[in-house]
Amino acid sequence: MRGLRWLIVPALVIPIGLLFLSGFGRDPSEIPSPLIGRPAPEWTQATLDGGTLSTEDLAGRPYVVNFWASWCGPCVDEHPVLASASTDHGDELAVVGVLYQDTTADATAWLVEHGDAGYPNLLDGDGALAIDYGVTGPPESYFVDAGGIVRAKQFGPLTDESMAQHLAEIGVGE
Amino acid sequence: MIPTIGHAAIVVGLALTVYAAVAFVVGARGGDGRLLVSARRAVIGTFACAAIGSAAMMASLLTHDFSVRYVAENNATTTPPFISAISLWAALEGSILFWTLLATGWASLVLWWNRDRHPALMPWVGATLASVNAFFFAVMTWPGNPFVRTTPVAAEGIGPNALLQNHPFMALHPPMLYLGYTGLAVPFAFGVAALVTGRLDEAWLRIVRRWTLIPWTFLSLGIVAGAWWSYEVLGWGGYWAWDPVENAALLPWLTATAFIHSSMVAERRSSLKAWTAALVIATFVLTLVGTFLTRSGILASVHSFTESGIGPWFLAAILLALGIALSLLVWRLPQVTGGGRPSGLLSRESAFLFNNVLFLGLTFAVLFGTLLPLIAVSTSGATISVGRVWFDRVTVPIVIALLFLMGIGPALPWGQASWRTIRERFTVPLLAAAIISAGAFVLGIRDTGPLGILALAVFVGAIMIDEVVRGARSRARARGENGATATWRLTTRNRRRYGGYAVHLGILVMAVAIAVSSGLATDRTVTLAAGESATIAGYRITNERVVVEPLSNDARVIETRAELTYEGSQSGSLATAQRDYPSSATPIATPAVRTSLAEDLYVTLLAADPATGSVTLHIFVNPLVVWIWIGGAIVGLGAVFAIWPERRVRTMAVAERRAVPVPTTPEGA
Repeated sequence: MRGLRWLIVPALVIPIGLLFLSGFGRDPSEIPSPLIGRPAPEWTQATLDGGTLSTEDLAGRPYVVNFWASWCGPCVDEHPVLASASTDHGDELAVVGVLYQDTTADATAWLVEHGDAGYPNLLDGDGALAIDYGVTGPPESYFVDAGGIVRAKQFGPLTDESMAQHLAEIGVGE
Repeated sequence: MIPTIGHAAIVVGLALTVYAAVAFVVGARGGDGRLLVSARRAVIGTFACAAIGSAAMMASLLTHDFSVRYVAENNATTTPPFISAISLWAALEGSILFWTLLATGWASLVLWWNRDRHPALMPWVGATLASVNAFFFAVMTWPGNPFVRTTPVAAEGIGPNALLQNHPFMALHPPMLYLGYTGLAVPFAFGVAALVTGRLDEAWLRIVRRWTLIPWTFLSLGIVAGAWWSYEVLGWGGYWAWDPVENAALLPWLTATAFIHSSMVAERRSSLKAWTAALVIATFVLTLVGTFLTRSGILASVHSFTESGIGPWFLAAILLALGIALSLLVWRLPQVTGGGRPSGLLSRESAFLFNNVLFLGLTFAVLFGTLLPLIAVSTSGATISVGRVWFDRVTVPIVIALLFLMGIGPALPWGQASWRTIRERFTVPLLAAAIISAGAFVLGIRDTGPLGILALAVFVGAIMIDEVVRGARSRARARGENGATATWRLTTRNRRRYGGYAVHLGILVMAVAIAVSSGLATDRTVTLAAGESATIAGYRITNERVVVEPLSNDARVIETRAELTYEGSQSGSLATAQRDYPSSATPIATPAVRTSLAEDLYVTLLAADPATGSVTLHIFVNPLVVWIWIGGAIVGLGAVFAIWPERRVRTMAVAERRAVPVPTTPEGA
């Protein structure tokens, strides 16, 4: 019987460990996107370099829509991931940046500093595009397959692993 | 160069603290005094290392050295020097560096202070503290390195978190809180030492209570200062939101408070020893859990630090500390349980026991509410949040019961109270409570919450005053001293007891102020055109003009300011603003607060149109809020009074104890 008191140690330590362990890798403010499995919002937007881009231009191709801002720290971290995805997959994949509550001057300066990977960046002055996608804060990325259906959402910065995983979901890099 | 020195200091600190931990254990087992001396010096060396590291970080911040990632992310060339300096603790890596500075400071102080005392305990105290500090140095060496460099070096940094540069309280509140958190490792270390050596005795309790009371005081002041900061800066008109980071500070405070009380019973009755040791362990583990929850990113919080790789490290530390300490406790359990005779239901022992049950209940309630979102998502995948309503509903009844106990507990004698004592001590306070709350009712206060708390406060306050008056009167009679002298001598010769009463008084003031300010506050949202006025709770507020201009000390920050005049029980002009920081997507409100002893006028700017001069304001009239801060100050002063070393010598105390027929024994509370 006396040995039983030792059970209290694992009885406390193990559940606490498991509970906290289960919290890792999950962002508490992450909300599942209702867009998953549905057609992506359609748009025609002005781009940072003065052109125009529309979802029609992207038809038939999988694409990533990445919401970012020059004032967003984690956007710096994920920038190389997006840049290499854009160059590695060529025409197989389109990467589209969207300025989130940012000025064109700040965004241009940011691209000069951190390297412009050449993919288009959309202006979203009134935030309508961010509202259509349900963005809560940058960085956030949406993965749309060749059929125009949203397949995945990345909340927070992309890493090489999460990028590869989400690209597989829209049929890129298989 | 400077960041390299800082990084080197951390690595040397890690080596020194690991050496100290090993040397303390080897020295304790082998009894080699020289080894113990060198271990103590190594701990003081770790403090020097943490100080060099902190100084290097502060220098990097002040010189805007953006080659350091932490500086690039938390500083800009336009950041004022004061904000740069306190940015040391504004984000994750810096705050761990600052934490380590304080933790090594406590360890050095404790080991130096007790260099000739408690020879059996101190090596284990040193080993425990050095091991805890080794964890923090290791975190800074690997996953949370504050001196990580960036290439290429940015010309301009992102700047400090907008919320953190808005109020001078940022210079006060985190250091207080951290002094509390880090200091609570000291009682834990004494607990481990006592369990290892089997010296869980009365002397141990006295040492640990003192070393708990000091960090407890800092933690209390840190919590109150944090509430004040939140009230003055966040602009929502409140001071406590049951946010995980607030709960993280409250949890160890609750168990430490429970310990301070139960240790008094344990010292006197030699029962409850294992229980007090468990509380010391729980308190320390909860400081780690709180740090983990707010820094690992597993719970959503207003204050949560950016996600980082330190989570698994903290989890390992928590499980290791809990597992080792708990195993030691279980191992010693047969020796420390039992002892002490049972006491009556109406006795101070029972009051302390109930006190501990309630504090523990409160701890579990707050812990459960804080972790529930995590439990829910882990077990069922459901996303839930636990808000203020739940916390208020669960905690308020327990707090009321605690306040009641706070009144009757100290007035009950040890052992068993007779009905005569109870009649004698409680009749007048009960009458006073009834009369004053009836008076408040007649004067128009009809809300049961504030009315009930007022009655309770008068009851408890009257008992306390009665206790002091009774003691002073009997001393005056016995010694022929006048009332003032008798009161001063009575209290200063029994600091623990009367300091405790002062803390209780402060808590009482806070309780009344919290009940009234949350129960009787008025608030309204109004939109005023230029020159237009609105009336709320006796104040007439007029929109004078809207000004948009950069801040004088940081031109990158644009302030939109509504200049208003107000007339009522206070009159004058005020400016409430929104500031656009380059580092923040949304403008940060800077509420204007006009404080008087009776009420605060609190105005937050929600929107302004510079073109038309119209403004949308959220106006609060919050009664008695200033008394929360005053109550907090009384708690602090009471605690300092209790900690202050007593001047009397032991023999004199014995003589006094015989001479003065004080109703309760002088060693009490």
